[in-house]
Amino acid sequence: MLLSRVADRLYWGARYAERAQSTARIVRTYTELMVDLPVSVLTSWEPLLAVAGSGVAFDLACGGATDEASIVAYLLADTTNPGSLAASVAQARENLRTTREIVPREAWQTLNDLHHDVVANVDGGCARANRARFLNRVIGECQQLNGVLATVMLRDEAYDVWQLGEAVERADMTTRVVGVRAAALLMSHGGDDAQRAYDDVQWMSVLRSVSALQMYQRAHAGAIDARDAVEFLLLDPRFPRSVAACAQRIRHCLERLPHPARTLPAVSALDAVLRDAASHTHDGAALDGAMDDVQTGLAAVNDIVQRTFVRGDH
Amino acid sequence: MVKVRAPGTHWDELVTPEGGPRPGAEALLDVLSGMTLAELTERQTLAELDIVMSGVTFTVYHDGRGIDRAWPFDIIPRVITATEWRRIEQGLVQRMRALNAFIDDLYHEQRVIADGVFPAELLEQSANFRPQCRGVRPKFGVWAHICGSDLVRDADGTVYVLEDNLRVPSGVSYVLENRAVSKRVFADLFARQSILPVDRYTDELARLLASLAPDGVRRPRVAVLTPGIHNSAYFEHSFLAQRIGAALVEGSDLVVGDDDGVYMRTIAGLERVDVIYRRVDDLFLDPEAFRADSMLGVPGLMRAWRAGRVAIANAPGAGVADDKVVYAWVPDLIRYYTGEEPLLPNVPTYRCHLPEERAYVLSHLDQLVVKPANESGGYGLLIGNRATPEQRREQAAVIEADPRNWVAQPILSLSTVPTLREHGIEPRHVDLRPFILSGATTYVTAGGLTRVALTEGSLIVNSSQGGGSKDTWIVEAP
Repeated sequence: MLLSRVADRLYWGARYAERAQSTARIVRTYTELMVDLPVSVLTSWEPLLAVAGSGVAFDLACGGATDEASIVAYLLADTTNPGSLAASVAQARENLRTTREIVPREAWQTLNDLHHDVVANVDGGCARANRARFLNRVIGECQQLNGVLATVMLRDEAYDVWQLGEAVERADMTTRVVGVRAAALLMSHGGDDAQRAYDDVQWMSVLRSVSALQMYQRAHAGAIDARDAVEFLLLDPRFPRSVAACAQRIRHCLERLPHPARTLPAVSALDAVLRDAASHTHDGAALDGAMDDVQTGLAAVNDIVQRTFVRGDH
Repeated sequence: MVKVRAPGTHWDELVTPEGGPRPGAEALLDVLSGMTLAELTERQTLAELDIVMSGVTFTVYHDGRGIDRAWPFDIIPRVITATEWRRIEQGLVQRMRALNAFIDDLYHEQRVIADGVFPAELLEQSANFRPQCRGVRPKFGVWAHICGSDLVRDADGTVYVLEDNLRVPSGVSYVLENRAVSKRVFADLFARQSILPVDRYTDELARLLASLAPDGVRRPRVAVLTPGIHNSAYFEHSFLAQRIGAALVEGSDLVVGDDDGVYMRTIAGLERVDVIYRRVDDLFLDPEAFRADSMLGVPGLMRAWRAGRVAIANAPGAGVADDKVVYAWVPDLIRYYTGEEPLLPNVPTYRCHLPEERAYVLSHLDQLVVKPANESGGYGLLIGNRATPEQRREQAAVIEADPRNWVAQPILSLSTVPTLREHGIEPRHVDLRPFILSGATTYVTAGGLTRVALTEGSLIVNSSQGGGSKDTWIVEAP
């Protein structure tokens, strides 16, 4: 038995916790990339905003500033940005605080610790010198949360709803990494030699954004191939952060939860757009468009979850 | 080494006037006197950290917003011998038996009024009598299933019942949390002596609630009804739901069907509820029966309860016996319903609606505590000897305008317990709230929640007004 209201909080608790973790990953990886690239290769911090899905809101909030400090502070520390790391952790904590009778106590304590850690340290953690250490700790604490849930939480509807929220959010982030950064790299292939010389570094960074580099290298021996990398992130069912693997998890969760006949068509539609996207792995502009379609498919899943489980339209 | 000073004119729970340990406190004082202030403060800091990290909180209201605060806890426990506690426990059980019989009587034959023991006009003026509850027969004849009674000890060592909270008493979760922390702080002492465990409470509560289910229900579904996450006791609602394996619901999660059954809105559809442990006041329970503007309640809930389709604990209307005017009659009610003499004394209480007692109150305001009959949380109190003449004049006018709403009691000198403050250990005033569960059988917590007024000399122990808490040890003689 799972109350609709509680399902809503668990679902968003999972989404925000996952968002916090993936925001930490992309900021950490992008920072490393910027350190690696020589000044001769024109680089900007703005793609980071696009990956985080915060571009327009940032422009409104920060009046068009494009410097590292403003962008990183906006993505990590700014609690007026609902997608920031600090806001995500605070909202995940609030959702867990109000479902403490459901989630394992250690899970709540882990997230509560994380929240106190972020509140105390996020401003200092924005500085380049401390950033990696701060973000590694955040990622570690998020993984501890995942570990507690994986090892001690009862496998019931509440767990499936949590997994569902996590998978939707994870697929969303991988889709944005592919849609923004991979698509941009594919499009820049007309660029000059100096830039192309750093393509490998860039592709490694794309994979690292979702912690996929090492696993990609195991799956595809040799130098990084752009198409293989995109396919790995989108379609490889063996990599748990690939969009296809997330879609598979979404399907499993919805099969076990009530009213599958009502919810599963949205997953089938998502699978279909993902299959279409597979034919655009070589063309940046088309890939960008295909990722928009995948995002629309994920939004449809989110919508049917809300309507079926939260609003109770059966 | 820290000094635990003798408390002067008050009764101290740990230290005799000569500075020696009270019975039961020997081991504790032995350990305390072997520690430096720095060591003790370090243990206090660790305990507070423990509380923050476990997320043990309560909510205070400030500028119209609820703010989550870490639960205030002082590591030095209050100690009571098991021998004394057993006497108190018997007194509480006796009291609850009488109060439940009284409530049941008021909603049926009203023999107590017919027999001239309780005045009819008090019932007519009662803010907590619910005509909607007349004729309902809750199981076992019990209405107040969960009661928190506040006890205080006067300078001569007598323990009095100060009030009975029969509506939605809170604090029991902190009894369990305080113990969890205190076991870590003084692990050595728990090993050295026999301190009665408090953890049984939630099992007893679960058993009690299940026993209230309508007849024929084999596996009762229990729900804890909370006003929501902004309520000051939300932590406790969540804690209890978790410990008893119940669903934690808000009013909007429930719906009453055409069959008068109560259902929860779940992701699979509607599911039946058999027992509701409600932490919402009567008037907000059901907008059809009580306040139409209540957003917290469930339309039709009273209908479902009256039809016997759902049990509600505490039963609606139980608060009629939780009223500072009724309080004054409790000793008579105990004699009337049990035929026994009260085992635990009441604080002498002057009832302002009686002309003679009112006259006494008005001419002795500087020696009395004046309390509104129906407020909780320490609000609206006037402590006569601390009030200005101006405040006492205002109070007198308010009493004359609405005498039924006021009672007064002598100013008790609340007992103290040594408490860790910035510069050492100082005596601070305490009360004690044990919790009593009543159903087919009765259970009393081993001890209860000791609340402490952290400000020197203050008697206000409520956490909403700067009070703290302590663990309560019921210690068996070795």
